[in-house]
Amino acid sequence: MKLGSFIIRRLFLMLLVLFGVSVLVFVIAKVIPADPVGAILGGNAPIDLVEDMKRRLGLDKPLMNQFIDYMSGILRGDLGTSLKSNRPVAKDIANFFPATLELSICATFLSVVIGIFLGILSAVYRNKFIDHFARVFSILGVSMPVFWTGLLLLLLFYFRLGWLPGTGRLGLFVTPPTRYTGLYLLDSLLSLNFEAFKDALAHLVLPSIVLGYSAAASIARITRSSMLDVLRQDFIRTAKAKGIGKRLVIYRHALRNALIPVVTIIGLTFGGLLEGAVLTETIFGWPGLGRYIVNSLLLLDYPAIMGGTLFVAVIYSLVNLIVDIIYAALDPRMRI
Amino acid sequence: MWKKILLVTLLLATVLSFAKTPKDTLVIAANTEIFITLDPAVCYETFAAAVVTSAYSGLTKIEPVNGVLTPVPDLAEKWEVVQEGDVTVWTFYLRKGLVFANGDPLTAEDVVFSFKRVLTINKSPAWLFNELGLTKENMDQTIIAKDPLTVVLKTKPLARNIVLSIIAPPWGGVVNKKVVLANQVNNDLGEAYLTDKSEGAGPFIIVEWKRKEQVIMQSNPKYWAGEPPLKKIIIKDVPEETTQFLLVQKGDVDIAWNITTEQAAQLRETKGGNIRLVTTPEQSNEYVAMNCGWGPFKDEKVRLAIKYAIDYDAIINSVMRGFAILNQNFMPIGYFGYIELNPFKRDVQKAKQLLTEAGYPNGFEVEIITSTTDIRRNEAIIVQSNLADIGIKANIVQMPSSEMYAKYRQQGHQMIIAGWGIDYPDPDALAKPFANYRVKQLAWRNMWYDDHAADLAEKAGVELNDEKRAQMYKELQEYWITRSAFAMLYQPVGFWAVSNDVVGFERAVEGYTLTFDFTKISKK
Repeated sequence: MKLGSFIIRRLFLMLLVLFGVSVLVFVIAKVIPADPVGAILGGNAPIDLVEDMKRRLGLDKPLMNQFIDYMSGILRGDLGTSLKSNRPVAKDIANFFPATLELSICATFLSVVIGIFLGILSAVYRNKFIDHFARVFSILGVSMPVFWTGLLLLLLFYFRLGWLPGTGRLGLFVTPPTRYTGLYLLDSLLSLNFEAFKDALAHLVLPSIVLGYSAAASIARITRSSMLDVLRQDFIRTAKAKGIGKRLVIYRHALRNALIPVVTIIGLTFGGLLEGAVLTETIFGWPGLGRYIVNSLLLLDYPAIMGGTLFVAVIYSLVNLIVDIIYAALDPRMRI
Repeated sequence: MWKKILLVTLLLATVLSFAKTPKDTLVIAANTEIFITLDPAVCYETFAAAVVTSAYSGLTKIEPVNGVLTPVPDLAEKWEVVQEGDVTVWTFYLRKGLVFANGDPLTAEDVVFSFKRVLTINKSPAWLFNELGLTKENMDQTIIAKDPLTVVLKTKPLARNIVLSIIAPPWGGVVNKKVVLANQVNNDLGEAYLTDKSEGAGPFIIVEWKRKEQVIMQSNPKYWAGEPPLKKIIIKDVPEETTQFLLVQKGDVDIAWNITTEQAAQLRETKGGNIRLVTTPEQSNEYVAMNCGWGPFKDEKVRLAIKYAIDYDAIINSVMRGFAILNQNFMPIGYFGYIELNPFKRDVQKAKQLLTEAGYPNGFEVEIITSTTDIRRNEAIIVQSNLADIGIKANIVQMPSSEMYAKYRQQGHQMIIAGWGIDYPDPDALAKPFANYRVKQLAWRNMWYDDHAADLAEKAGVELNDEKRAQMYKELQEYWITRSAFAMLYQPVGFWAVSNDVVGFERAVEGYTLTFDFTKISKK
């Protein structure tokens, strides 16, 4: 199969997945015996007001009608209006996603640099000190809850040492950069607001470390095992026998081949981070997509849940598609 | 390599400096997740209502007078009340020369527009106006601008305190008609426009609300009673209580709004630091309710047994760490007509005896529903163990509030642990929901269809003679306490971690959760 038709086939499958996701989320949101309108109006609101509000929002219509209304909205590019904020869901997502994207990029960057570096070292120096260290680092990273790591780092670097700021994306008294993309680092550079750049960078450090650490641990483990596999293969022995330097063998011959499974993990990690990391966002007061979706879930604000979930599904599918395309380009066997 | 990393870290540490809060600016760390809107016609959440109240003035405002929350003149300098048959005619006289924060004159037309707006939008606060007899259908006849300085309201005959309290902000906040209409979208009466900014005449102006980031308010130099001492208020969204506590200890914020009971207890023990604990009795209550339409709870003796089985002291001391007041009455302490009634103390023998008399010597099985907070879970666990001691097997089901309210409003629960926030500072605001099933509130949700209690609550609400009214509430409370569907657990005490640089917070917070006055706060 040619690369073009491979991509078209995957895009078609992606549409099917998105339709499946929207049906599933709609059914789940409707099956739960909850009352979003009552929750939003508050515990004191009398039942007549709640019923009136449901009628006005069309929540008393048959389920099928509600579903058709919703799906036709999506096809027109309208994700609906949040029951809680009374604002278009698309606008809310556009508001919160850049914060999540910026944090995910930084966390992924950190995790890739640290993960691959440690993975290579522990494969090359197998069973030496650095390998043991990497293993402990990985186990801790995978097993420590981010909630705990986050608070601990906050306590140390913000509260005790005072090196890094506490919460949010920017200091209270720092003028935010002009909005072009919603990514503060990029926007502050574009608007030449270096004070905002410095402050935004400082605010990114702790949440990126917290998020990036567990991802780095997984990447380090995969890189190590993949490197060990490759290092045992004949072409590496041949390369060594030809007298090529150790560094060249590792970086040019072994690493390139070992990176294929690592690319998958990086793609999945990045996709996962883009959903928003609700715990990290909560500890660091980060105005991201994760908190938006979780809060919507608690109130059963179903247009927001469905809009948010669909958006995440699109992002996740796109990231996977890109990973698959890279794969397919690298290894033609994948296109079969 | 490592030296380079260390050098960069040190450099980063030295270039970063953190601003302390300026003297004319109050910085609050709070969980603003519950904020839905800052529109006075829609807003119904406690903390958001405090923000709205600071940006909008009304004809009256709620003020603690000698410790009692009382409606006092605000935009209206005086009023007259005349009884015309079964209609009460209120004439409010506005102060001369009133202006909105943007400089536009404020007239009776704006007041009428604002009240009608609440009824037309018909969201959470609208039912309170309906209680006064003001409805969407009759509003053109009942809410009238007589001249630019005179507003006339025609209400049901009700105790004066009820009317004067309900028309106070947040929902009685006066909006600038001209600006709001100029910014309306799809005939929404400016509902979208006023979601995150203000167009009022209160002491502060809401400049911006960036969701999940911050709310910024600045002082209104044109406020009729004079510009408040604080020039700026920033409410920074910090959802995590521990983080809020770290920020206030570090001095980066002046107030941590949502600390935990553990942190408050810690602060209570360690006096003398740079932050202090501020507490005040809240205008709300916490209760266990039994659905009188379900099995054993149909029997008054079973309900009484439950009231004797509960260990109120344990809940107050271990769950609330002492941040609660024993009050088994539906009214908060100090309200008009309040009498101290705390007849129930844990008495397992008496509870068992009552159960046996009711025909349940071996107990029964019951489901307790409650919301997903830690406090509610811990309360439910204590109640569960108390009930086990008298042979009742209670199963706790925690659920999100959306699910809990759905079940509660449909009378689908057996037993529930919940709370009630008071809407206006009058015994009527409690007697109606807790005793009068006809208003379809709490008594109705728990199927306590008691006509005597309902009649008493109704009559007391319209009694104009204070002495007679107080007597009626006394009778109602004594009747209610043993027969009703409710075991009142406590009246909560609100607590905040406040920097010692902040002056007057104790006065500002008096009357929370019903009112909060930012104008009383200044900084050293």
